[in-house]
Amino acid sequence: MDGDGLTRRGFVQGSGAVAAAAFARLGAAGVLALGQAACRARDEGAAFTTLTAAEARELEAIAARILPATDTPGAREAGVAWFMDRALGSFMQSNLPFVRQGLRAFQEAIPATYPGARAFSDLDEADQDAWLAPHEGQPFFELVRLLTVAGFLGMTSYGGNRDHVGWTLLGIDPAAHTHTHPFGWYDARAARGEPDDA
Amino acid sequence: MTPEQPPFPAREPVDFAIIGAGAAGGIFARELAAAGFDVVLFEQGPFRRASDFTHDEIAVMLNSELLGGGAAVHGQTFRDDPGKTAQVPAGGPPPAMYAQGVGGSTVHFSGNFWRFRESDFRERSLLGPIAGTNFADWPITYEELEPWYTKVEWEIGVSGAPGPSDPPRSKPYPLPPMPVKSAGVLLERAARKLGLTAQAAPLAILSQPYRGRAACVNCGWCLGFGCEVGAKSSTLAALIPDALATGRLEIRSECAVYRLETDAHGRVSDVLYYDAERREQGQKARAVVLCANGAETPRLLLASASGRFPDGLANSSGYVGRNLMWNCHGEARGVFEHPLNEHKGVQTTRIILDFYEADPARGFYGGGGLDARPFLSAGPIMHALLGMPPDLPRWGAEFKEWLAWSFTRQMMILASTTSLPLDRNNITLDPTHQDAWGRPAIRVTYRDHDDDLATARFLQEHAMALLDAAGAKRAWATPVAPQTIGAHLLGTCRMGDDPETSVTDRWHRSHDVPNLFVCDGSSFVTSGRGQPTETIMALAFRAADYIVRAARANEI
Repeated sequence: MDGDGLTRRGFVQGSGAVAAAAFARLGAAGVLALGQAACRARDEGAAFTTLTAAEARELEAIAARILPATDTPGAREAGVAWFMDRALGSFMQSNLPFVRQGLRAFQEAIPATYPGARAFSDLDEADQDAWLAPHEGQPFFELVRLLTVAGFLGMTSYGGNRDHVGWTLLGIDPAAHTHTHPFGWYDARAARGEPDDA
Repeated sequence: MTPEQPPFPAREPVDFAIIGAGAAGGIFARELAAAGFDVVLFEQGPFRRASDFTHDEIAVMLNSELLGGGAAVHGQTFRDDPGKTAQVPAGGPPPAMYAQGVGGSTVHFSGNFWRFRESDFRERSLLGPIAGTNFADWPITYEELEPWYTKVEWEIGVSGAPGPSDPPRSKPYPLPPMPVKSAGVLLERAARKLGLTAQAAPLAILSQPYRGRAACVNCGWCLGFGCEVGAKSSTLAALIPDALATGRLEIRSECAVYRLETDAHGRVSDVLYYDAERREQGQKARAVVLCANGAETPRLLLASASGRFPDGLANSSGYVGRNLMWNCHGEARGVFEHPLNEHKGVQTTRIILDFYEADPARGFYGGGGLDARPFLSAGPIMHALLGMPPDLPRWGAEFKEWLAWSFTRQMMILASTTSLPLDRNNITLDPTHQDAWGRPAIRVTYRDHDDDLATARFLQEHAMALLDAAGAKRAWATPVAPQTIGAHLLGTCRMGDDPETSVTDRWHRSHDVPNLFVCDGSSFVTSGRGQPTETIMALAFRAADYIVRAARANEI
C-alpha cells in the first residue's frame, strides 16, 4: 500500500459495491505467518522485532491521539504498537522506509518549537494534538491512521485489539462467531408483532 | 472427501477446456462433466475449501486475499479517457475487480440475486435508439431464459419471495426469504410512508438446509468474504462437488491461461497456460468454453491474436473488449436511535424496485433498484475507514465516540443502476504494463455515461428521502462521481445475431471460431440493474444445454 493510496479521496471514490477494498494495496503474502508471530509477541513487554523502541514509542503516541483512551481503552491499551511492529515487518514491509522517514520528518522541528522536548511523545496531549492537526491528510499521517484503525479493530492474532477492547467498544461480541435472529431493536419489535409507530 | 481428479494428458485433446471457474465456469464444469465429457477446468486462483475462509478483515479487505493480491499481481491500468496514458492506480483494488479462485466472484459476492425482467432484453425496441451508444436488444428474450433462471435457483439454492412487479416465474423460490433485519424493517417503514414497495430480497444464500448444505449462520461476513459454512450458493459450494463426483473433471487451479492457439482450420486447438510453478504448459482440447469474466475473457482473446486473427481471436467484429458496463451506483447512509446490528446476518433483506424501469419522462435513460444494507460497515475496520460522516473529525475522542456509537446503529441505502454500452468504455491490452505472470496487463478505459450518473443521482435522492422517512437521526450521501473501479464486468463480448456487431451468436458460439464458446458477464448486451450474477448463471446453464446437444450431434 502506498501512502498516496490512503487519502480520504482514495477511500471514498469507489462509490457503490466497488469500494469494497478501496485501499487494499497492502501487498499479500505472509498473513498467516504474521498472525502466528504476533500471537507470540502479544504479551506486554515483548520485544519489538521491526521497529526500534523509540520508533514504536512515537508511533504509539500518535496512535493514542487518533484513538485516545477516554472512559474506554484507546489505541495504546489495545497494543496497536505491537500490531504496527508486526505489520511493518511483514505484509506492509514495503512501507517501512516510508514510515521511518515520515516519522523523522514529522518530529524534526519539535525540539526547536518546544524547548526541552526531543520527540512527539515528550509533548503533553494538547501540544500533541496541535502538532498532529496540520499533518492530517498527508501520507504519513494517513498511513499511521490506517495502522491505528487496523491494529485497534483487527483480529487479535495480529497483535493488536488486545483483549478485544476495540471490538467490545464497538459492540461486537468477540465470542460470537454466529448470530441468531432477531439482531437489532427494530427487527426484534417487528418479530414480536409490535406496531411500527414511528 | 474430495474425489480424486483424473489427470488428463496434455498432449491428447480433452473434450472441453473451460477457462475460468466462476459463476459460469462452475456450471459448465458440472453440466459438461455430468453429460459424460472429459473436462479440464482452468482457474488462475487457488482451490479453497469452505474451511479456508475467515472473518479476517485485514487479510480479506486490506490484503486483497481473495482478489489475488495487489497491483504487483494484477498490474491493471486505468484511464477515464482514451486520449490518456493509463496508469496503475496508486491505491485500492484493481479497476476491474473480481475474486480469484474456484468459485470466482460467487465466493465473495453478497448473494443479491435478481432476475432480469422482460424489458431488460428489449429496451432498445421499447425506448428507441440512444445516440452515441451501442444500446441494443438482446438476441434472446426473458421467456427463453426463464426456465434457466428457475434451474439456477433450484440447482444452487436461492431464498426469496415474489414481489409485485417481478417477471413471471415457472416455479417458486426453493427456499423462503431470510428473516428481515432492522435495516429491512426501516426500509419497509420508509417505503410505506412514501408510497413505495419494499419486498424481500432474493439471495443466493440458504435460509434453510438445502441439498446437504447447511443454512446461513448469520455471521455477517458476506460482502467480500467467503462463506465458511458453504451457505452462500457459490459455484464452489453448490456445483463443484457434484462436478468432481463425476470423475470426469480435472480442476487445474493456480493455472493462468495466457493464449489460445488455433489450428490450420481456424479452430481452437491448444490452451497455453502457466502452471502453479509458472512453467509454460499446453493442453489440447476439442472445444473451449471461455468464461473468465468480462475483463479476463477479452484480454485472453486479444492476447491470442495471430496471422489469421490479427485483431484478436473471435474479433472480426471489433467488439471484443468494447461496451464495458459496470453498473452505476449511488449511496446514502443514516444512523438511528436504537441498535440495528447490521453486522449480523446477510447484507440485505429488503429491496425497492419501484424505479426499475426506465422512464423517458425523467429526461435520461436508466433505472435501478434500492436496497438497505450495512455495506462495508459490516466490518469494524472498514466502518472506521469508510463509514464515517464527511464532517466528522477523523481522529481524536469525537471520532472514537462516534465510531463506537454508530457501528451498531448505521445502515446504507444503496442504489444499483444501469450503464450504457459505449465504444469508449472497454478492455484492451496495456502496451507497457504486465501482470505477475508476464501477461499484458488489463487496461480499463471507463467513464460513466451522463445518463448513468443522472440515474444514480436520481436514486440517491430517493435513498436520502427514504432515510428521512425511516426516522434517521442523521443521514448523509457521498456525491455520485464517475467510477474508477468496477466489480460488475459486463458487455465486453456481447452476444447477438449480427456477426458485425457481436462476438458470439445467441448460443454463445463465436461467430468466427466454431469450437469456441464465450459465456460470462461479457456476453451481456445491456447491463440490467446492478445484480448480474443470476443472469450470468442462467445464460451458462442454457449455453451448457446447447453445447451438450451440439457435441453429441457432432456439430462442434
